[in-house]
Amino acid sequence: MTTTKQRPRSDAPDLAFTSMTAWLREIAGDEPDRIGLREKEFGIWRETSYGEYWELVKTVGMALWALGVRPGDKVAIHSENRLAWVVSDLATQGIQAVSVGLYSTNPASEVEYLLNHSEAKVLIAEDQEQVDKALEVRDRLPHLEKIIYMEPRGVRTYDDPALMSWDMFLTVGRQQLVETPRRFNELVDGIDLDETATIVYTSGTTGPPKGAMLSHRNLVWTAEHSTLVVAGERPPKQAEFLSYLPLCHVFGRLFDLMAALSLRATVNFAESIDTVVADLQEIQPTYFPAPPRIWEKMSAVAQIRIADGSPAKRFLSQIFLKIGGWNADRVLERGKRGLLGDVVYGIGWLLVYRSLKKKIGMGRCLRAVSAAAPIAPEILKFFMAIGVPIYEAWGMTETTAYGCINPPGDIKLGTIGRPAQDCEIRLDEDGEILARHPGIFQGYFRNPDATAEAIDAEGWLHTGDVGEWDGDHVRIIDRKKDIIITAGGKNISPSELENRLKVSPFIKEAMVIGDRRKFISALIGIEIDVVSNWAQRQGITFTTYRDLSEKAEVIELIRKQVDEANADFARVEQIKKFDLIPKELDHEQGELTATQKIKRKVLAEQFADLIEGMYS
Amino acid sequence: MRGRPGLVTAYQRDSAMLPTTTQRVWFAVFCIAMVALTVFLPDDLAMRAASAAAAAVGAIGLNLVTGWAGQISLGHAFFLGVGAYTAAALGGEPGGPLIGLGLEMWIWLPAAGLVAALAGLIVAPIATRLRGLYLAFVTLGLVFIGEHIFREWDSLTGGIGVGRSAPKPIIFGYDLSREGSFFGITLSAEQQYYLFALAVLLVMGLLAKNMVRSRIGRAFSAIRDRDVAAEIMGIHLGRYKLIAFTVSSFYAGIAGGLIWTFVGFVEPRSFSLTLSIVYIAMILIGGAASIVGSIMGAVFITFLPRIVDLFAQYVPFIEDSPTGGFLTSAQMEQILFGLLIVVFLIVEPMGLHGIWIRVRNYWKAWPFSY
Repeated sequence: MTTTKQRPRSDAPDLAFTSMTAWLREIAGDEPDRIGLREKEFGIWRETSYGEYWELVKTVGMALWALGVRPGDKVAIHSENRLAWVVSDLATQGIQAVSVGLYSTNPASEVEYLLNHSEAKVLIAEDQEQVDKALEVRDRLPHLEKIIYMEPRGVRTYDDPALMSWDMFLTVGRQQLVETPRRFNELVDGIDLDETATIVYTSGTTGPPKGAMLSHRNLVWTAEHSTLVVAGERPPKQAEFLSYLPLCHVFGRLFDLMAALSLRATVNFAESIDTVVADLQEIQPTYFPAPPRIWEKMSAVAQIRIADGSPAKRFLSQIFLKIGGWNADRVLERGKRGLLGDVVYGIGWLLVYRSLKKKIGMGRCLRAVSAAAPIAPEILKFFMAIGVPIYEAWGMTETTAYGCINPPGDIKLGTIGRPAQDCEIRLDEDGEILARHPGIFQGYFRNPDATAEAIDAEGWLHTGDVGEWDGDHVRIIDRKKDIIITAGGKNISPSELENRLKVSPFIKEAMVIGDRRKFISALIGIEIDVVSNWAQRQGITFTTYRDLSEKAEVIELIRKQVDEANADFARVEQIKKFDLIPKELDHEQGELTATQKIKRKVLAEQFADLIEGMYS
Repeated sequence: MRGRPGLVTAYQRDSAMLPTTTQRVWFAVFCIAMVALTVFLPDDLAMRAASAAAAAVGAIGLNLVTGWAGQISLGHAFFLGVGAYTAAALGGEPGGPLIGLGLEMWIWLPAAGLVAALAGLIVAPIATRLRGLYLAFVTLGLVFIGEHIFREWDSLTGGIGVGRSAPKPIIFGYDLSREGSFFGITLSAEQQYYLFALAVLLVMGLLAKNMVRSRIGRAFSAIRDRDVAAEIMGIHLGRYKLIAFTVSSFYAGIAGGLIWTFVGFVEPRSFSLTLSIVYIAMILIGGAASIVGSIMGAVFITFLPRIVDLFAQYVPFIEDSPTGGFLTSAQMEQILFGLLIVVFLIVEPMGLHGIWIRVRNYWKAWPFSY
């Protein structure tokens, strides 16, 4: 039996714009002085207005045109988040070409695969590191004609004729603009909504990455809708975004490009992933999307620092965290705090929450979203307790990140929420979640088989996630292919266990094992910052990550965490044995995907001896 | 950016004196409160407060050269003296046995600063060639030379034991030393002194704050932290030490002119090494390299005798009469003075300002501890 639930379709009028680039043009014409982007340089956030933003996009678009990029050609962008990223993206889409984002952590072999698979004609690379990766496999890239580099440091002396500096590139663009001043606008006007705008490569926990083609319609429709869902009917006049989620991932693109344009917001580029905590404090973003990994880290850091506080501060904080937890429960039960809850929250806000939120950068946050992977309810509750309006949502590359969200006042922990406006959700016979809306992607690039598997004749996307209805909310059980069936025949969702484990601030990575095994076991990676802080206070000396992981005291500490987690599960689901991973997992060594998800197959092979050790 | 104090989009904001609205508001409130305080001060306290504000100007001057530029100067008393006598000479009664030009305060006060600055400018070249202990000794010599000149130059100073009266504080015909009434509020001479000194302190304090946040201030700090390194970074040591001494002397001159005008009488023996030490104590107790610290130190030291008198009423072995008891309050003051310098140097080298910073950080880090 299949069940379908859907929100009533609003009589959606035609989309206001035919592309994100046209949308930018509208803003630039309307409010050229509004600040569109900020980039930190020598300690100062340098501002770029929407007017300047548009000029840059035009220049880069024409530069690409001058280099021979024509409608349908692919332009790859290999960089961390920065001004040039969004500019290149919108410029590429503006000249009816297709942009392809690469993760800055992609190793050379993956760069080769992605550039070849996407048939990219031009590569816009950030710096020497990325240029080197491309040059390493240069002779195996038949389609690549030009490499543009943004940072000249170290690359200046290279003599490959394909290389061109960003400054030179802009000069070419300006010349082309003089020669054909109207062409860029004509190209933008000529965009067909149903042409491909960008290819987003999925992270690929199994097998090589697949390139999801997103059309201009997908992007514009999702931009309009996601803004409505996240910011409501009356968005604030000035919204601040902190861009740190990789822009080549659909979650980052959704916020920092699409939602930002539709809200006319200011996007601030974090200096790097390591400075996000400091940048958050400075920017205090209005909307903040983050994967569970970031929320876990933030909550762990906050709790450690509270524990390190002076007795008075610690006492007060802990009391109000408890009270906050009580308040969060009230919100979960009734949808709001109620009068008593509001009063208690007000006192806590004055004493603890306000400053605590400011410290973690959530001081002015109107809506925080957790998505990209399932998050543990305890983490969500921590943030709800201190008054961060956090909502778990679900979307995927193939749905342009648009899917389900827990609406304010109707949150169910452990669910991904209700189908968002105009999104139809259905459960297949085997429980697989099917989704349908105008944001569903066009298909996988050069992979018709996978496309046919993903989208059926009626336009339903087969998401690969298995779920169930919980009232109007959807609860995800696990990825279809990840579900473990033990030797005893019991179905177990590893991610549920793993997330429960990762609630502990001491645990960074967890992989639950047990497919066709007698019992469930787990490989656990410690959170080095937190555990080393703990070890210092215990007077335990250590040298490396590996050394720390092998300390008997640390193993005992983790055992306690595992026992605590086990208490929440039935006997058969409990972790009977565990072992600590002797190294930090890393994308460049192929253990994690670019989005920091573990690659189970790789880990199972790499740590086969550890796993067998637990079962022997 | 409203509500986002960390979002700095220009270096101007980064080096602003009062970067946030909250700070601006509190500063204004504080200034208004200090002005409003006038009417509540009895004459003796108003007098002390006026002296404290004037001394604060001098302390800021010493802090510029010693706290920021790191050049230990024991010669501050000399520059205070130059200021006091310039004021007395320019503002004194003409026609008497002593030099007196009978000018008004708006001329002689800046002139007191300028003449002292000139003296500083003359001394500075020697100071730029020395550092550390040697510099301290040279400036010590300055105090002795100054004392000798003040003692012997009878036509200027009136000679030892005689002295001369201070100039009249008259601005555009208005005499501060006579009772006056503003908006229906009658202010005594002392209260008017206090208000005037407060205004001077505000202007001089802001000017100093502006200097230390600028290129000059950064050069001073660089020289203090390591002169060799500063020179290698392209800082002209000679020029900046010259600026430090000249500006510091200017501040001392202004302070000297003001303080002895309030006192009403200038005696050549006042400008001894002890006076220099008192000013060093002000910046040590207040906090080196801090404008607010200089002010706190000056206020504290100026009010110290009052505080000791207050003690004398409750502590049995301290008597406030000059003869009786185990300790007189004057002796107690001396002991306390020495003790405070020792305690601050050991326990809180950053001075009162350092204590304030610690308190502020406690609340700033809330609800964390770091």
